[in-house]
Amino acid sequence: MEQSGEYRIAASREAVWEALNDPQVLGECIEGCQNIEKVDEQHFNVAVKAKIGPVSATFNAELELSDLNPPASYVINGNAKGGAAGFAKGGAEVELAEDGDATLLRYAVKANVGGKLAQVGSRLVDGAARKMADDFFAAFSTRLDPGAASTGESESEEENKDEVPRYESSGSRSIWLIAFVVLILAVLFAI
Amino acid sequence: MKITLQVNGEPREVDVAENTLLVDVLRVNLGLTGTHVGCDTSQCGACTVHLDGRAVKACTVLAPQADGANVLTIEGIGTPDELHPMQAAFRECHALQCGFCTPGMIMQAIDLVENGDQLDNAAIREGLEGNLCRCTGYHNIVRAIQSVADAG
Amino acid sequence: MSEAIAEDTGIGAPVRRREDARFITGTGRYTDDLNQPGQVYGVFCRSPHARAKINGVDAEEALGIPGVLGVYTGTEMVADGIGDLPCGWLVKDKAGNDMRSAPHPPLAATQVNYVGEPYALVVADSLQAARQGAESVNAEFEELHAVVELGSATVSEQIYEGIDHNLAYEWALGEEDATRMAFARAAHVTTLELTNNRLIPNAMEPRACLGVHDAATGDYTLYTTSQNPHLERLVLSAFVQVAPEHKLRVVAPDVGGGFGSKIFIYAEETAVIWAAAKVGRPIKWVADRSESFLADAHGRDHITRAELALDEQGRFTGLRVKTTANLGAYLSTFGSSVPTYLYGTLLAGQYKTPNIYVEVQGVYTNTAPVDAYRGAGRPEATYVVERIVEQAARELGKDPADLRRMNMIQPEDFPYETPVALTYDTGNYEASLDKALELIDYAGFEGRRAAAAEQNKRRGIGFACYIEACGLAPSKLAIELGAGVGLYESGEIRMNPTGNVSVFTGSHSHGQGHETTFAQVVSDKLGVPYDDVDIVHGDTGRMEFGLGTYGSRSLAVGGSALIAAAEKIIEKGKKIAAHMMQTTPEQVDFDDGTFSLQDSNQSVTIQEVAFAAYVPADYPEDLEPGLTEKAFYDPNNFTYPAGTHIAEVEVDIETGVVELVNFVAVDDFGHIINPLIVHGQVHGGVAQGAGQALMEHGIYDEYGQLQTGSMMDYCLPRADDLPDFQVDTTVTPCTHNPLGVKGCGEAGAIGSPAAIMNAVTHALGTKDIAMPATPEKVWRAVRGE
Repeated sequence: MEQSGEYRIAASREAVWEALNDPQVLGECIEGCQNIEKVDEQHFNVAVKAKIGPVSATFNAELELSDLNPPASYVINGNAKGGAAGFAKGGAEVELAEDGDATLLRYAVKANVGGKLAQVGSRLVDGAARKMADDFFAAFSTRLDPGAASTGESESEEENKDEVPRYESSGSRSIWLIAFVVLILAVLFAI
Repeated sequence: MKITLQVNGEPREVDVAENTLLVDVLRVNLGLTGTHVGCDTSQCGACTVHLDGRAVKACTVLAPQADGANVLTIEGIGTPDELHPMQAAFRECHALQCGFCTPGMIMQAIDLVENGDQLDNAAIREGLEGNLCRCTGYHNIVRAIQSVADAG
Repeated sequence: MSEAIAEDTGIGAPVRRREDARFITGTGRYTDDLNQPGQVYGVFCRSPHARAKINGVDAEEALGIPGVLGVYTGTEMVADGIGDLPCGWLVKDKAGNDMRSAPHPPLAATQVNYVGEPYALVVADSLQAARQGAESVNAEFEELHAVVELGSATVSEQIYEGIDHNLAYEWALGEEDATRMAFARAAHVTTLELTNNRLIPNAMEPRACLGVHDAATGDYTLYTTSQNPHLERLVLSAFVQVAPEHKLRVVAPDVGGGFGSKIFIYAEETAVIWAAAKVGRPIKWVADRSESFLADAHGRDHITRAELALDEQGRFTGLRVKTTANLGAYLSTFGSSVPTYLYGTLLAGQYKTPNIYVEVQGVYTNTAPVDAYRGAGRPEATYVVERIVEQAARELGKDPADLRRMNMIQPEDFPYETPVALTYDTGNYEASLDKALELIDYAGFEGRRAAAAEQNKRRGIGFACYIEACGLAPSKLAIELGAGVGLYESGEIRMNPTGNVSVFTGSHSHGQGHETTFAQVVSDKLGVPYDDVDIVHGDTGRMEFGLGTYGSRSLAVGGSALIAAAEKIIEKGKKIAAHMMQTTPEQVDFDDGTFSLQDSNQSVTIQEVAFAAYVPADYPEDLEPGLTEKAFYDPNNFTYPAGTHIAEVEVDIETGVVELVNFVAVDDFGHIINPLIVHGQVHGGVAQGAGQALMEHGIYDEYGQLQTGSMMDYCLPRADDLPDFQVDTTVTPCTHNPLGVKGCGEAGAIGSPAAIMNAVTHALGTKDIAMPATPEKVWRAVRGE
């Protein structure tokens, strides 16, 4: 699977950056995220519990950061295992650029999927992954700029706040991490 | 949860989990194994039964959705001594080989004849879109259905 | 034979099937319909990787799930002394060395080699718990590079230690030098590169089994979706060593189609019957369709380069074929024989080509094992021969029917010894061709083509004059060539004291209608009413031995065994009847159920004789009581069904959609017992062949992930994809079996792919388009891409 996209977030790059470093924000935007563990500066483990149809599985992702070029660009490679549900592995390149008052986030993901996911879900993966990425960034944008979405959605997010787990701060690399995790896990969720 | 349904004219009550499929109620809870499961993507139609008079794939109906409904399966349409005309036509035209798709095919075919009009070869073939048979090449199935349709 | 019997139920009558009574009323008994007291459920953990080392299987979490009774792994199977799954046909390479077999443990213990390969079995007291358990088993895989693409497999990373170039064998047949000379002298050479697409069988009933172990007696019973229960028992006892043969009963009840895919001895039933003893409860396993896609043996998957040499007149002088055959990750039960003895030997087709040479590379890849699927080698051979012959006709500007006719083996040439090891006993190929040309209205084709052109459609016509070899035989030859078992069949006829008849056959019916046709045969032969004859099959506990049903063998071999048993019944009956009529057996004739004294009006019926045999009051002194006879029939040759299939297609050049608009099949199956059933077999075979030509394709991605793993992605023919078929027959009786029959199960799938693809390329004016001719490929071809 290859996918790229671009999101315009109605906030300054600094604000985006700051928000992306706030685990509370990220937690609100990834459903089912149980844990983000920073192994070292370049390695992270992420666990997400997901229920997909009849399959309830914990997806464990191991991520490695490379080609560090703060704050402009970054590469994340990794793999996410969903046990019987299958796996996804691949890499994402993400960059942030200023666009007037706003920030343009561009990403390009190359991933391949395996197991049951590839067998019965492969033709659904592209659409599902894109939708999940859209959902993430929509939630993220709303968080930064409540005017960008309906109040109702914002409120519901507020209501859910208590359920959001606490994360160890993963520092300034969060955005790349999250972009990757969202896209890779989106692929997994697609079944 | 408890659900009540009419199956082949008999009132039946079953106690099943909410996510139980109708096909499992029929096969497992009620022992009506004539309805078959041939796939896991609602493609093959081997599990076709009638729900309140229309053909449905029992693998895509949750048991609670059938609560209070009237379900007709292959076991309910005729007996070896008194076959439904569609059953008789399938035998007469050699419209089955291994027999696995047959119950679903017959249930779909009955729906086609009862609810379709102007059933010609093309209409029958289109009406069987949701039912896979790997043995017969459909040729004799189409003939069988046509014969019942023509007999009115 | 009495007229009454002949009219209604005798040989040649279109008797409506007796097995239908249960299938149309929903009272068939398929494996998943059977249940045992205390039954529990099995679910397999399957590899998500095409090739990986297993560094550990952690079952702790799974075992903690309520209801999970056990998690059984390959390591435990090895520890219990359970052997590998064997390949039943030892092919020798062209240097005379044994093929190189990759060890095939039922459950992978140290390494997985294709996506979907099972590595653990989770057993639980409910299906849901077993599924949850399987999802909770954590295996640690270390991924390895997967070899997926067939074309480059021999130069890719080596999958198995000791199997260089991933080659199981390089096999050859025919005279290489003579063939080379023929090409050197040829007036014209036609060359064609072909792919024969990987198919996934998809019998409508997914595989299933129910394993039962009786700890008190040590008896095992395995109910399973098998085409050959005795072979299953033999392999499980002799090779896999799950249980000794006399303690293992294998029952194949109603089976919902096979098409070859249920011949093989698979990992799942092996693990289930083994684990049933360990867990102490009967275990049921039923495949999801997803599992069928991953782990049923696939079919076909060849890449071939073929060359045909012709002289100035257009006579075929040489055929040279080089094929790379995908065997998948392991040699399945008969996987090795399909692209060799069932393929190379058929390359003469219906023609007098004097020089033929074929080389086959059997290659391992990290994909599901490939084995026999309807036709098994013979569709692949027909595809090569009939595509290249049609292409040669086009290159030479000859009518494809005429070019074939000119090269056909003639009736006076039989028995005809081909350059590729077979001796055809009989045939009349032109008779089938002529009848097919008439049925399709060949003369009217150009008119139909012009009419289609007005609709902006391109119409094409294509031929296939196929031959097949059925009823693999004789055993001695097959075993010399590497077969691990004989290829005879057994039959037993029990005349019961009340005069009705129980017939036991080692053949297995899973759609073929043996309960009807075999009863017709026995009724006819013994002159007993059809309704008094019962056919029993599919249970090692009930019949002596058998080799099951595949390769269109049942009637030719199994039916012949019944004739042989019936002859023994008649022979013994004559002795009893002679005693009853106070004469000698030599003075007794048997006809239509009656033993009569020559030149007299004295007679006794076979029913009276049967009664006397079981109540031997007034009975020959030196004769055993009872009237039960068994026979093993071992044919002395293959049978050779042949025929002509003609397809007409219309291609919508805007969309690339190919519509099969007309299909004629004229087959020579020898004598026909039940035309209704025979025609049905042809219809089904043609549908599968049309599926191969136009729709079906098992595709793996570059990492070995199956992309066509569901019925949403793998395109099976549906009713509106197919036309009505025109089916007819010609008859040259088989010369060496008592029924004169040849076999009809596979013919439809053998002739049709070549006929349809010849029609598609004819319509498009292209040399080739790789099967399946999907709208996308055709659309691109139309645009010259």
